Amino acid sequence: MKKEIILCESEMTKYETRSILLKENEQVQITTNSNSANYIFVSDFSNSSVLNICLKENSKMQLSFLAKHNFDKAEINVDLEKGASFTAYFADFSKDKEKLKVTINLKGEGSTAYWHLASLSANNDNKDFNVNINHIAFQTTALSDNYGVCKDQSKLVFSGCSAIQKGSHGSHTRQNSKIMVFDNSCDAIARPLLKIDEKDIEASHGAVVGRIPEDHLFYLTSRGLDESEAKRLITYGYLKPITRGFFDESVREEIISLIERRM
Amino acid sequence: MAKLIIKDLHAEVDGKEILKGIDLTIDQKETVAFLGPNGHGKSTLLNVIIGHPRYRVTKGSIFLDDLNVLKMSVDQRSKAGLFLGMQNPVEIPGVINSDFLRASVNAHNKKPISTYNFYKVLDTSTKELRMPFDLATRSLNEGFSGGEKKRNEILQLLMLEPKIALLDEIDSGLDVDAMQTVSDVIRKEQEKGMGFLIISHYARLFELVQPTRAIVMINGKIVIDGDPSYIKRIDQTGYEFIKTELGIEIDKDEIDMNKVSLGECGIKEIIR
Repeated sequence: MKKEIILCESEMTKYETRSILLKENEQVQITTNSNSANYIFVSDFSNSSVLNICLKENSKMQLSFLAKHNFDKAEINVDLEKGASFTAYFADFSKDKEKLKVTINLKGEGSTAYWHLASLSANNDNKDFNVNINHIAFQTTALSDNYGVCKDQSKLVFSGCSAIQKGSHGSHTRQNSKIMVFDNSCDAIARPLLKIDEKDIEASHGAVVGRIPEDHLFYLTSRGLDESEAKRLITYGYLKPITRGFFDESVREEIISLIERRM
Repeated sequence: MAKLIIKDLHAEVDGKEILKGIDLTIDQKETVAFLGPNGHGKSTLLNVIIGHPRYRVTKGSIFLDDLNVLKMSVDQRSKAGLFLGMQNPVEIPGVINSDFLRASVNAHNKKPISTYNFYKVLDTSTKELRMPFDLATRSLNEGFSGGEKKRNEILQLLMLEPKIALLDEIDSGLDVDAMQTVSDVIRKEQEKGMGFLIISHYARLFELVQPTRAIVMINGKIVIDGDPSYIKRIDQTGYEFIKTELGIEIDKDEIDMNKVSLGECGIKEIIR
């Protein structure tokens, strides 16, 4: 198992861009300097790779993942110190059996995290995304948005717990999980969970698993689109917003092409 | 010139018969004002023509020239030249308006429209409707005001150029200026030969678009099919004359009772 440390030393005024590839069984530790701003693009995951991130005081990081191949199981662990800000976009177009566990610890007061996942599950894929957010300090904020499309005989699970621990008053947390189901033979589960152990907080979650609404299909087909084209357009609209998390135009184009190819 | 021919059409929703034998013919050159009290089947007829899956046709036929409309899928009806401007257009998050419009235009043409030509047509059409161009780059109808949604319906009409357009209360939610803009567009399309069947409860729109004919639907049947003078009469006196002159009793718009009744909690709430 390799261990690598990357120190990001850029100034607060602009994002420092790095691109990394997580190799098989590799554990990568990223630690930011205080008051730095970093953009890291993870071009792919490999089997059993682990990414550990520590955001020092008042630093901010945007981490954008594009998973195209099988990664079996992987882990992302993030610790945030006071005033730190973490934003992650995870575009999942991997194949086969995948399990990703994400743990975000909001350890410092006023730290914030935003997690956005878009996953396309098809054929016999079996995917499990477990996103956990721990509010450990007061006035911390987190939003977890998970969007999935599940078709053929695949299985897609969104689970995870947003926990507001004692002492984390003034914190806000929200979980959204939406999975669009295409076929009778696929299996989709959205299992959000909130654990609240403090007063004076705001916590909410929403989970939707279902087919494309009939009235949406009717509207589009009434304008001449056949049903498959209408479904393609709706699905495209469901997954495409993830592209805004990628700074590089060629990566955005690659994601759009992946959506179109895999649909 | 295309002709829409409806014969002895019966349709139901959730097992309840709404349309009880409709006979109606609309020529492409006509603009027909479609009147009637709420809940008597006007919107149902438009939805049945375009093929909404919620409605079941139990008897009768609809032909567009020699095409059997009832045997066509919804998209085929659109491609054949029918268009429904909806009363409550749905919001579809994530689907970008311009992507949708382009896909719709391509669905109607044998060859896909070039990017340049598409944006040229889109630009001209949005200007004609005095719509901000950014509406084309937003999610379909999401966050649009009532008036913006209705203009977006007319934008689609302009871009798809149907033979016969069915407009369901297209004037609701439009302010005075927007009503003028939309009616100007309708007038232009009338001159080009587009046919219209327009539902509205207000004479104002009809004054602007000058229908060639008026029909009135009562109790799921068309009871008046005549000249446009009925629009003014109904606007001034309501539907009472139908009862006195034609002897037709007008069914009341039935609203199902809410199955949830006020219980103990509600009572306590009031006492507090």
